[in-house]
Amino acid sequence: MNYIKSFILLAVLGIASCSPKMAKETSSNDNNASKDFRAMAPKAGPAREIEIGKSTQYTLANGLKVIVVENHKIPEISYQLTIDMDRMQEKEKAGLSDITGTLLSTGTTSKTKSDIDEAVDFIGASMVTNPKGGFASSLTKHSDKILSLFSDVILRPSFPEAEFDKIKTQTLSGLQANKDDPNAISGNVSSALNFGPNHPYGEITNEITVANIKLQDTKDYYKTYFKPGNAYLVIVGDITPDVAKAKAEKYFGSWAAGKTPTYTYPFPKTLDNTAVAFVDKSGAVQSVINVTYPVDIKPGSPDEIPARVMNTVLGSGFAGRLFKNLREDKAYTYGAYSSLNSDELVGSFSASASVRNEVTDSAIVQVLIELNKLKDQPVTTKELELAKSFIYGAFARSLENPQTVANFALNTLMYNLPPDYYQTYLQRLSAVTIDDVARMAKKYITPNKARIVVVGNKDDVYSKLSVFDKEDGKVQLYDIYANPRKDESSTPLSVTANEVVDKYLMAIGGRAKLDAVSSLDQTYSMELMGMAITAHMVQSSGKFHMSMTAPGMSLMKQIYDGDKGQMEQMGQKSTVEGTDLTSMKEQAIIFPERFYGEAGYTLELKGIEDVNGKPAYKIAVTTPGGSKSTEFFDKESFLKVKEVQTAEGQGQTVTNEYGDYKAVDGINIPYTVTISGPMPTPMVMKAETVKVNSNVDPSLFKI
Amino acid sequence: MRYFLALFIGSIMISVPLAAQMNKIQFSEFDLPNGLHVILYQDKTTPIVAVSVMYHVGSKNENPERTGFAHFFEHLMFEGSDNIGRGEYDKYVQNAGGNLNANTTFDRTYYYEVLPSNQLDLGLWLESERMMHARVDEKGIETQREVVKEERRQRIDNQPYGSILEETFKRAYHVHPYKWPVIGSMAHLEAAQESDYKQFYKDFYVPNNAVLSIAGDIDVDAAKASIEKYFAGIPKSAQPVYRPRVVEPPLMGEIRDTVYDNIQLPAVVQAYRIPAQGTKDYYAVDMVSRILSNGESSRLYKALVDEQQKALFVGNFPLALEDPGVSLTFGITNMGVDVNQLESAIDEQIVKVQNELISEKEFQKLRNQIESEYVTNNSRDAGIAQSLATYYMFFGDANLINNEIDRYLAVTREDIQAAAKKYLVKSNRVTLHYLPKSQENKS
Repeated sequence: MNYIKSFILLAVLGIASCSPKMAKETSSNDNNASKDFRAMAPKAGPAREIEIGKSTQYTLANGLKVIVVENHKIPEISYQLTIDMDRMQEKEKAGLSDITGTLLSTGTTSKTKSDIDEAVDFIGASMVTNPKGGFASSLTKHSDKILSLFSDVILRPSFPEAEFDKIKTQTLSGLQANKDDPNAISGNVSSALNFGPNHPYGEITNEITVANIKLQDTKDYYKTYFKPGNAYLVIVGDITPDVAKAKAEKYFGSWAAGKTPTYTYPFPKTLDNTAVAFVDKSGAVQSVINVTYPVDIKPGSPDEIPARVMNTVLGSGFAGRLFKNLREDKAYTYGAYSSLNSDELVGSFSASASVRNEVTDSAIVQVLIELNKLKDQPVTTKELELAKSFIYGAFARSLENPQTVANFALNTLMYNLPPDYYQTYLQRLSAVTIDDVARMAKKYITPNKARIVVVGNKDDVYSKLSVFDKEDGKVQLYDIYANPRKDESSTPLSVTANEVVDKYLMAIGGRAKLDAVSSLDQTYSMELMGMAITAHMVQSSGKFHMSMTAPGMSLMKQIYDGDKGQMEQMGQKSTVEGTDLTSMKEQAIIFPERFYGEAGYTLELKGIEDVNGKPAYKIAVTTPGGSKSTEFFDKESFLKVKEVQTAEGQGQTVTNEYGDYKAVDGINIPYTVTISGPMPTPMVMKAETVKVNSNVDPSLFKI
Repeated sequence: MRYFLALFIGSIMISVPLAAQMNKIQFSEFDLPNGLHVILYQDKTTPIVAVSVMYHVGSKNENPERTGFAHFFEHLMFEGSDNIGRGEYDKYVQNAGGNLNANTTFDRTYYYEVLPSNQLDLGLWLESERMMHARVDEKGIETQREVVKEERRQRIDNQPYGSILEETFKRAYHVHPYKWPVIGSMAHLEAAQESDYKQFYKDFYVPNNAVLSIAGDIDVDAAKASIEKYFAGIPKSAQPVYRPRVVEPPLMGEIRDTVYDNIQLPAVVQAYRIPAQGTKDYYAVDMVSRILSNGESSRLYKALVDEQQKALFVGNFPLALEDPGVSLTFGITNMGVDVNQLESAIDEQIVKVQNELISEKEFQKLRNQIESEYVTNNSRDAGIAQSLATYYMFFGDANLINNEIDRYLAVTREDIQAAAKKYLVKSNRVTLHYLPKSQENKS
């Protein structure tokens, strides 16, 4: 809903800002011999030492540390609470901290969510909470009101059950959307493999872990971690340190003292040789490649700035080597970037790009070439200077936001940085030399110990990747949650496609029973944008009817009367012709798998692949009408668990997942169908009624 | 970059400024002998500087037979100059660690860069090159014609509801140049010769038609010297700059029409003709729009999206323009909701503002929100540079950045009600129903 709203806002307002495109063409003024001052771009003046605003610090009796950054530029004050807690492992309840963070601001012992919203709106303020605290800001004159609300949600949250359920549902919708997002999969699998299951950074939130979370868990989380002993209240803006101290005392002084538990984790094991990890995404037209590994680089360490320069040369923006090579030179991708993140526990390096299937291996070759080149050869003076001014500009511009200043003050304390760490940042930046960059590259660029994570289409890409694996020359398969899977496609299969389909027909009731079905009448319910929608699908004697209705209105209707087809949308009728009519005709066939063995159908057994963690036979099917689909039959039960259809020419794939099979008159019918692809989030259809050989109203097929 | 639709935002930004306890923005101004007006605002808190030039030329200054030129120049001006290679504007700025942007409206064109403050001279050089001898040649014109056609396809023709401004304005105006779209006619751009473009450049991109507004970490004296160096040698135009003086007569009755577009969900557009920006009534109309659609607790959103669920989106946006403009209400129906149902539900909310004086509490909330938005708006140098230029260009008083709030605070609850009664009436509006193309051929 929010997605759609913001999309529409953008469309209407036309404000989508887009970064300036790189000029494809350049011309030079070298032959302009004029000594005119205009002939050349002016040189930059000396970089000014930046004043980041002094901060004042106090500690309240309960241990809460207060940082005040006084800045009277505008009459606004912001409050940021950060609890510097050691990350715990959430294990089978992964996702708990995020849910708790959101839940905090949805009710207090004296206020409902709508009371809170109205109160925040009334003063034109903003407020959010998160797993480690929260943020609130308002004009100076409303400061007491917002602070009172903020301390209320932090100190006296009421954990309303209804809001908890709502947040869980939203989290699950988000996970559904991520299942289809190759970048999200790549991110999850990369962290899980880099950091391992015994490290909090290696955990992945999934449907099961979210379902495991109970309201009581959020209360326990709050009780354990919301303690002032490790907390920082950063106050930025139009306020003096004395007033800020008094306010902190007034609104957070009553917070009962206490500290959060400490945890330590061993540094994750790194690889000895390059290894390739692969996650299959059927039907993908692009591969997401990520060359990644954990690195030991702490915030504020002497390496941080020269390492950032090194990474900027390699992969920041369109000036980076990766971008120039993979996009500008080879046109493999729209963008290729690298990152090097410092972290107190464990940092990470990543070089990534989304590339066309057929150049996946070539793109990996080029990424590795760039990494080795950076490791083995010095960067040029021009590259060094460009990277420095890129960082300088970004640093300087970021300072305009007072929150940047707040974060600097906070980091200085949390990471024990020298007090002038950020004041002298740019001087240290300008002191970085080519040798420094070379030293950083040798230390942090280790392609021969990297993990190459590829999310892509196994049929097209997988077999070309084993050459990159120096561990055992084999590519390890994983599911989307980083559980290792056996590659069963390489072992010869003892069955044929037709045998699998026969076993499927057996599993749902057997040919005899299926052949006796002359009509099938199914009603499904689903929810779309908050509306309850009913889908009614009837197949009877070569005829087909499907309608979708919302309360009191018809949304869509498709009819095939055995000869002609008709489509009706929002009351507008149109005749269906051509290939659309052919595929409608095929939809009229009840249990079409019965005819898969007949002339006109082509079946190809593509191997075994996981569907939601369970192995399934994968069969490519082409119908006599030319429709293509890939169907998955569970290896144990032979029930059809998934079907992927690609619309010709549009590149749009639609995936149906089938589950919750129930017997109706001795025939197994899936009661849950999850459709994903065309919508931003998948749609779950639940069967309400399924009728076999019932009396079908012939008017349903009337055109 | 370079979206003429930024008009919408421009108008919203112009209408926002006001503040009660705002710290005063201390700026200085002067004119160069060639007529360039310069505004300098020193803010040493961050080592960055926003360098901007606002040209007082928008689509309304165009020849009716050659529309789209102002926006076209927004593209051409990135083609280079006598001393800047083709397409190198972006590179200079990005290599210096800065960013840049430009936009065009009915009334003006705006270019700016945000740079580290030690690169102020680079910004001045880039902007002065553009003003002195931008590259206006056949090759650039050819290239940008194709780009603008692409832009039109992408932003208007291929964008659901992308044509609402164009479709509305051509019905809301019959004689005033606001009747043609900022992006203009592709046929006009095609038919225009190199000499037409060169003439337009000579007529409008001159120092006496521009405001150079600079905000950020500057040394005022040094900045003045650099400005002299780069801009003083640019000659002023020989002729006075053309400004249309056309008064659009009242609508005298509602105009209703249907537009078929590549959309799934029908939508309703209502455009009420309103007074020019800066007039007393404009502020009251602006307050009405905030009651209707500022935030999720606003009336249109709460009633139509939350409670009745008739709309997927609904909002009202007044366009602040130099000449009398419009206040636009736009609503997209929820699935299965008839467009007429949505229209009457929107009307109901408007009638309510006309018939019932708003409560003291809602009035206070409105003023609180306005004030809060204003303060945040003036927190960035880029925003301050633009506000100063806008106030000077259209109100003749850059100091309105400090006291325009008084004009908002002078609006009473009764003024709001009166403005709703006077302007938000059927006889003063254009109503469009946007329907899916599939419904076009029903007979």
